[in-house]
Amino acid sequence: MTRVQLVEISKQYGSTLAVDGVNADIAEGEFVTLLGPSGCGKTTTLRMVAGLVEPTAGQIRFDGQVVNNVPPHKRNIGLAFQSHALFPHLSVYRNIAFGLEVKGSPKADIQNRVREMLEMIELTHHADRMPSQLSGGQQQRVALARMLATDPRVLLFDEPLSALDRNLRDTLKYSILDLQRRTKKTAIYVTHDQSEAFAISDRIFVMNEGRIEQAGTQLDIYLRPHTEFVAGFVGDNNAIPAEVEGVVPSLPGEPRLLDVRAAGMRLRGSDPGNIRVGDRVLVFVRPENIDVLDAASAVDEPNVVHGRIEQIVFEGPTVRVLVDASGVLIKVTSSGLGRLTLLDKERRDVMLRLQDVTVVRDDAAVAA
Amino acid sequence: MAVAAASAPRIENRSGGFSLRWLGNALAHGYVWAWLAIFALPFMATLAYSLRTPDGIWTLSAYQYVFGSFKENLLLSVQTTVITIVINLLISVPAAYAIVRYPLPGKSFILSALNLSLYTPAAVMGVSLVIAYAFLFRIPQTMTGLIAAYVVGTFPLMLVPVIVALRDLPMVFEEAARTLGATRMQTFWRVELPLLGPGISAGILLTFVIIFNEFLVTLFIAGPSTTTAALRVYNLTRTAGFQPSTAALATTMQLVSFVVVLLFFRFFGSRYLKGTYLI
Ligand SMILES: Nc1ncnc2c1ncn2[C@@H]1O[C@H](COP(=O)(O)OP(=O)(O)O)[C@@H](O)[C@H]1O
Ligand SMILES: [Mg+2]
Repeated sequence: MTRVQLVEISKQYGSTLAVDGVNADIAEGEFVTLLGPSGCGKTTTLRMVAGLVEPTAGQIRFDGQVVNNVPPHKRNIGLAFQSHALFPHLSVYRNIAFGLEVKGSPKADIQNRVREMLEMIELTHHADRMPSQLSGGQQQRVALARMLATDPRVLLFDEPLSALDRNLRDTLKYSILDLQRRTKKTAIYVTHDQSEAFAISDRIFVMNEGRIEQAGTQLDIYLRPHTEFVAGFVGDNNAIPAEVEGVVPSLPGEPRLLDVRAAGMRLRGSDPGNIRVGDRVLVFVRPENIDVLDAASAVDEPNVVHGRIEQIVFEGPTVRVLVDASGVLIKVTSSGLGRLTLLDKERRDVMLRLQDVTVVRDDAAVAA
Repeated sequence: MAVAAASAPRIENRSGGFSLRWLGNALAHGYVWAWLAIFALPFMATLAYSLRTPDGIWTLSAYQYVFGSFKENLLLSVQTTVITIVINLLISVPAAYAIVRYPLPGKSFILSALNLSLYTPAAVMGVSLVIAYAFLFRIPQTMTGLIAAYVVGTFPLMLVPVIVALRDLPMVFEEAARTLGATRMQTFWRVELPLLGPGISAGILLTFVIIFNEFLVTLFIAGPSTTTAALRVYNLTRTAGFQPSTAALATTMQLVSFVVVLLFFRFFGSRYLKGTYLI
């Protein structure tokens, strides 16, 4: 139950700025994921929280107290590694007992706690095995038990499942979430796998090149990306270059909407807050948020555009359609029964209804 | 059952080439054993010599000297060896730690420089030590002098395997220990040292084999009260001629070395000795 704050933390390695002014305020008991491509600085950020890497600048606070100068063994955190990192020369029992032993807990207490942990991970009968005698999933469970045995304030995970096969990953990620929910501990989870991030997080911090591009709930990240990177990195997306024509008056508390024009199409999408009339922007709309309508159902409203089907790929549960709308190719994914009616529509004119449209400033165009 | 049925015809198919294969195997084995015999021959001869009186009677009586007047030489060898190993350990483990885990300018140069004594001819080393001991520092011919010489000559044999083991040891174990609440010291004693065990044992073995049998450097610096077993063997052949008792001492030394090496391989395998002169 610890609030973790990162205030403008940076880490410089030689000429590489691995982490570049990261800010985060993680509430007590919150499960936060750092999501981003390989090399974006996730591990470095996590290791700074653990105390294994010293920040070049910035502050790390636990419950308001600066812990920058607290060595890792006094931070009382639990860290799960990519490899399970179990001590190969110690039995399962001694591995789980390690944190308590070095703290000098009484033998009886250690015994009780290790028992409790072994029951929790359902490996009571494997206490005397060596780590090498366990399966990959069992090893990672022992690693979780070892990290929870000392009752740490903050749980840190560095892609703990990436070395496991798919099925195991799916079950273990829910075990981790379940453990976190039961212990109500603040957790920071690092991954480059978006489905993992979406499945278990309260909030997702999308990282790119050492910075946090956007922090928000799954829905925020998925439906209302603030930057081109977030829109492109998470899931499949259409990016349509456009120019802002006007701001739609909105009710207080509602997201602001913008009217934009893109190659003859009139679109309307939500505004991340930093865009003005006349700006060059990218309009993002997910393939699965586009309905294909009959050409005859022409209505004159924003986000309903005219197009011509160029290609249809039947993938079983979904149909992928490529539509040429005023010279812009738009990807559409259609599921449900309606998808079957599309199959004979190649080279036909249709109308598209675009939903959950977001507008993001086009940084490349601004720079140019 | 199905497996057995399926594999049976294959065995028959193979039996066509059986005799040729057998011949090849026999030749290969014969080759290895022949060389082994050639290498073992001098030792076997010494062993045989130690077991016979000049009159051709087979007896163990020569070995009474091993436990008699040669005992102090063997004990001195064991003592100097053990103490040198301990000192080598005290020097090498922290040194390896510093070299591997901390940024150090000119690392590779330092490593080469540290290994210098391994490439110094023993005679050169001996002369240098005599000059240093007799004229520079006036160190008397005691066991301390011997041990100091051995440490200078052999600590790289300890340092290198420990460096290799430490380099092979992923940082993640140290980091896991630290985040679990272990201090640096606790991490070292509880995690790193046990995991470095094989590397350290390799260093111990190498130091042991070299020092227990060291002769040439000892010849330069040993005094009358510091005659090691190896030096005693040499002295005996010069003064008393070639006696069965001398052969018995030599054989005993050989057996001790051999047993120690075998025990090592039995417990630790040969992984950490790759690239050293033993393998
Ligand atoms: N110990 C280090 N020394 C030098 N550069 C490093 C070190 N650790 C990480 N980096 C660099 O910092 C950047 C971020 O790395 P990392 O935090 O591991 O990314 P991620 O975990 O997101 O894949 C990378 O460019 C990486 O090469
Ligand atoms: Mg990483």
